[in-house]
Amino acid sequence: MLSAAGPTHAGPVRIPMEHGFSPYTDNGGTTLAIAGDDYVIVAGDTRQSEGYSINTRYCPKVFKLDNNCVLATGGMAADGQNLVRRLKQSIEQYHHVHAKTMSPSALAQLLSVVLYGKRHFPYFVWNTLGGLDADGSGWVYSYDPVGNVEKRKWACAGSAGHLIMPFLDAKIGHHHQSQIDAKTEGKPGSVPFDTAMKYTKDAFTSATERDIYTGDLLEIFVIRKSGVTVEQIPLKRD
Amino acid sequence: MEYNGSAVMAMKGDGCVAIAADRRFGVQALTLGTEFQKIFQMNKYTFVGLAGLASDVITLSDQLRYKVKMYELREERPISPETFAHLASSSLYEKRFGPWFVEPIIAGLDPKTGEPFIASTDLIGCINFAKDFVVSGTANSQMYGMCESLWEPNLGPEDLFETISQAMLNAIDRDCIAGWGAVVHVITKDKIVTKHLKGRMD
Amino acid sequence: MFLSRSDYDRGVSTFSPEGRIFQVEYALEAIKLGSTAIGVQTKEGVILAVERRSTSPLVEATSIEKIVEIDRHLGCAISGLTADSRTIVDHARVAAQHHTFVYDEPIKVESLTQEVCDLALRFGEGASGEKRAMSRPFGVALLIGGVDENGPQLYQTDPSGNYVRYKAKALGSGSEGAQTELKNQYHADLTLAEGIQVALRILKQTMEEKMTEGNIQLATVTAAKGYFVHPIEEIKTLVEGLGQTAPGASTPATPTVQ
Repeated sequence: MLSAAGPTHAGPVRIPMEHGFSPYTDNGGTTLAIAGDDYVIVAGDTRQSEGYSINTRYCPKVFKLDNNCVLATGGMAADGQNLVRRLKQSIEQYHHVHAKTMSPSALAQLLSVVLYGKRHFPYFVWNTLGGLDADGSGWVYSYDPVGNVEKRKWACAGSAGHLIMPFLDAKIGHHHQSQIDAKTEGKPGSVPFDTAMKYTKDAFTSATERDIYTGDLLEIFVIRKSGVTVEQIPLKRD
Repeated sequence: MEYNGSAVMAMKGDGCVAIAADRRFGVQALTLGTEFQKIFQMNKYTFVGLAGLASDVITLSDQLRYKVKMYELREERPISPETFAHLASSSLYEKRFGPWFVEPIIAGLDPKTGEPFIASTDLIGCINFAKDFVVSGTANSQMYGMCESLWEPNLGPEDLFETISQAMLNAIDRDCIAGWGAVVHVITKDKIVTKHLKGRMD
Repeated sequence: MFLSRSDYDRGVSTFSPEGRIFQVEYALEAIKLGSTAIGVQTKEGVILAVERRSTSPLVEATSIEKIVEIDRHLGCAISGLTADSRTIVDHARVAAQHHTFVYDEPIKVESLTQEVCDLALRFGEGASGEKRAMSRPFGVALLIGGVDENGPQLYQTDPSGNYVRYKAKALGSGSEGAQTELKNQYHADLTLAEGIQVALRILKQTMEEKMTEGNIQLATVTAAKGYFVHPIEEIKTLVEGLGQTAPGASTPATPTVQ
């Protein structure tokens, strides 16, 4: 006999299904930027992963925004790409409204405002922006996802950011060093271009050894007065 | 592991090894001491560096020294760093389900052959025998980045000292809860050179 | 003024069959009733000079503000229905600050002028019936002076939303005579000091009252000092100097009306 409370027989139990959705994912990858007296290097690897899987070995996360600005986006690839589309649009708009190209400092501020505009649903992106000043000297702006910005001479972010940062402190900032060969190593925060290129490649090959989210290909953008050039260096694919 | 904060590393060189550690003792963000010992000499050629919970660092170092002394009395010979690594490993695994919150680094020269030896283990004693360098502590990712880019094979004692010092100092500057100076021991067959490094005190 | 008044007179957003919007044209007329304002662009900076025309000797003339700051590098002289200028100046200040907030740089003079003019035509009902910003066109014209990466610049805006860049421009009741004089006395090599002389001299000619330090206002915008209101003591010396000395050799001799 059935009780009023419902069936008493044993059988499959219905458990309420939870439909959770997480809007964020970390696609890994590492970015780096070094500014010198007349150049900026902005580099990033091209591996895109999700958990222990590699989605693709070539998904660029460094973007040329105009002839004087290059942006590296680390974190969530979708957010990074969308952010870049928005910025490119804003740069175009600015160009039309004000009849001039946007300076890196203006773009740096704009990016901060754009990021903070999504304070309550942020772009899951760690940005690094490089550009040349009005006087031709290189600068790097680095960001957190909600738009906190710092103007620096070197920066790195992403999955191997922790590994590379102290290396740059030592090599670019000459921290804890007293004997410096000015010819090859320059001054703190202004190392010669070839040296900075060497450090960039060293930093990524080292990071690739220990960070599973970094590898495949290194894409190096160089901003100089004459414009932006790109170089690709293979990294380990394991 | 993040309660006290620490940074310990060791590197192999040509006929020498170096081991280094920071000197901070603190509780979370509060720094209480700047002369805390994290590297312990077990015998003439064997050193152990303990990164992790400070109370366990003290207790475990004492216990390891006791075990080494018992071994050497019984065997009437010095313990080799490799054997010591296994001793440390089994001591840690004994506490498999209530572990010491410590990740040791072992560095030394084989007492017979003078062969450099380094190793690290996790908190339950899984040994990692490395041929280049080992790191442990809250600044481990920074130390990996530094060692991976600065270390090269066959460094002599002076170069090894410079390399490990640069790696240590720059790594701990990027860790909030490690630093406040560092100590480096360079172990060669005929002498042990100990140097205290001044670092940022913030 | 027009042959017949019609419904097109009233509707602010309706063209007359001849293709005119009367309310805008009337607004332009309102400017001509305003007090005289003069702007002169020199290679060193922009000069803005206005008359503080008061309706009664009991009015404290110094309380009439017709030159205002928009940003550190931008000033603006007003002629026409000054009450309307409050809305515009507020808008301009917000626009300038907003630009600085977003781009960390001062807004260009032309961009600011364009921003002001965007507001000028927001009267009447919106195309899709949205809420209108204003019931009628502004009755005010502005002389916007400023300095940016392109150097010192002077712009004039009017109620139709037009803007034109000038080397020298006069607005208001005395503008016709003043404009002719500006044409005579302006040349590209004017220094700031000479520009001030020219502006004050012409302003003096157009004024009905005797020009004193109390019934005019003078401001300059330069790269070094930005927007700068000249203090009353300085104006006093300038006005006195104007009465004594004949125009310099660098400017064509003009009779000084006392």
